[in-house]
Amino acid sequence: MDIIVCIKRVPQTAEAEVTIDSSGKDIEKDRLSFDINESDSYALEEAVILKEKFGGTITVISVGYQDTEDTLRIALAKGADNAIRVKAEDFEHIDGYKTSQILKSVIEKESYDLIFAGCIATDDAYSQVGVTLAELLNIPHASLVINIDTSENRADVNRELEEGLMGHLDISLPALFTIQTGINEPRYASLIAIRRAAKKEIKVIGQEEINKDNLLLNTEIEELFIPPKTKEVEILTGSPAESASKLAEIFKEKGLI
Amino acid sequence: MKDKKTLTTEINPEIRDILIEMGAEDIYKCYQCGKCTSACPWFQVEIYDYPVYKFSLETALGAVASSEDKKELDKEIDLIYRCVGCEACLEQCPHGISTPNILRAARRLLVDFDSFPETLKSIVQKTHNVGNPFGEHRENRADWAKGKNVPDYQEGMEFLYFPCCLPAYEARNQKVAQATVGILQKSNVSYGILGVQETCCGEVIRRIGAENIFAEVAKANIKAFSDSGVTKVLVTSPHCYTTFKNEYPDFGADFEVLHTTQYLSHLIETGKLKINKSFNKRVVYHDPCTLGRKNNIYEEPRNILKSIPGLEFLEVEDFNRNLSLCCGAGSGGLWLEWDKEERIVNVRLKQLMDTGAEIIAVACPYCLQMFEETIKSMDTDIQVMDIAEILFECL
Repeated sequence: MDIIVCIKRVPQTAEAEVTIDSSGKDIEKDRLSFDINESDSYALEEAVILKEKFGGTITVISVGYQDTEDTLRIALAKGADNAIRVKAEDFEHIDGYKTSQILKSVIEKESYDLIFAGCIATDDAYSQVGVTLAELLNIPHASLVINIDTSENRADVNRELEEGLMGHLDISLPALFTIQTGINEPRYASLIAIRRAAKKEIKVIGQEEINKDNLLLNTEIEELFIPPKTKEVEILTGSPAESASKLAEIFKEKGLI
Repeated sequence: MKDKKTLTTEINPEIRDILIEMGAEDIYKCYQCGKCTSACPWFQVEIYDYPVYKFSLETALGAVASSEDKKELDKEIDLIYRCVGCEACLEQCPHGISTPNILRAARRLLVDFDSFPETLKSIVQKTHNVGNPFGEHRENRADWAKGKNVPDYQEGMEFLYFPCCLPAYEARNQKVAQATVGILQKSNVSYGILGVQETCCGEVIRRIGAENIFAEVAKANIKAFSDSGVTKVLVTSPHCYTTFKNEYPDFGADFEVLHTTQYLSHLIETGKLKINKSFNKRVVYHDPCTLGRKNNIYEEPRNILKSIPGLEFLEVEDFNRNLSLCCGAGSGGLWLEWDKEERIVNVRLKQLMDTGAEIIAVACPYCLQMFEETIKSMDTDIQVMDIAEILFECL
């Protein structure tokens, strides 16, 4: 079973003081740590678990700058066989849609049974790349996947929906799943795997190898800003349905809807 | 957990070589006498076997943390991160082998490949991102000094007082920093703080294995000190002390470092600090590993306590000075959770309580935090105080 895993290197902002840079369109990243996007690490682990069960190869792909190769190498140490970096520096502005198109251009030349991506990136939180990529490749997909049971050409998957609901799908392969955190326990890399990974080549793809005919940018960031602090806070109590009704009333009162 | 296996992974000379390159050069000095294992604080935890004697040999074989089995690998990495870096093993080793350094070589590789405990990863990220391992806001770093008339450091002052991150942010430990500046003020010592310009000394992240981020942190502090014209630094934490004194010079630091116990002992000895009140309690002193074994500071804390009238000074029999048992907080241990029966701190606290003391005197914020947190769940009236707090009460 050949699996492609799309990963992203992201700044770790959960424990940081985030500030906006001088362009007003990005955050200051000088003092931030970078790491593999959280749900991507679960996607990689899920691929490794399936590889241990069925054999095959795992290819990790990322659209990123040079330092993304550190993240790809960690993925190699944790069980991936091949790694590809698409040079982000070759593409001026990139959004979720454009990333999906770039990935499509690379992945359509590869053979695969499954494609995994994280369900959301912790930096821009678009949740867009995985599902858009599936549409562009014209393969079925399931998002927020929390359990996978595969046979050779089909997969039973559970999707984690709101309020504890699960969605159960039977999907034919090849397919793309965006993986939810908690589906497994990502592993450590052993020192022997680290040494092996250190010697592996990371394939680097530039713009000349990407089909650029229809590379479109759907969104452009106008401004990033820290929400202004306000003095008035109202906490809505009750069940989610009651809270939603109260919220809708407030919106109506203020003429927002 | 009794580990009967002798070797869980394959022999690999390449791993041996890279670990030697990363600081495990002591491995060939080991002749497997096993003194390290019996000196290790984990040896005192009856239900847990910690095979210190194996680390040199396994590293020499390159058979470290290399199991292909996920669960076995988890166990191997757990062993690498159990070491609290107290150097009790080094103290007893006939060949002067530092097992913490051998393990740190493996830790460095594991950190680079995102393969170490999540809680420790969080500390590294927080220290990198906001300058302290607790994820507290940088702008609140000097909150402990509010209302205490603590001056900002100005060039020409005798000391920069550098409280470690615990006294800067943690409520119980803040009292130690406040007592310390209280003593300095009563002694008319010229001192100031850098407050928000301070960054964690980085000791803990270096011990965890985050060498690159440590280097960044060290350089940021050295620049902040140098830009402010600092020539002498007074520290509350032995961890800051050892890092500033023994490790920062490799990154270009050029300043003198004193631990509070050294300076306060000097103030008493030279008559610059008068003790006016007595302290009528039985007090046992716990030697912090980083102050004692690592930096040979044994007498000054004792001199301070013995100079206080009314104070009955006690020692832990067989486990004092260079034989002191670690509190378990070093090298990331403060952040790692073990089952109650598996904690070093419980063993050490029992030793300290068995002396009949009413007060445990410490000289390290990590020990204070570790003991305070643990006695909360014990049926005891014993109290933990930093030496600076005891002294301040007697002025």
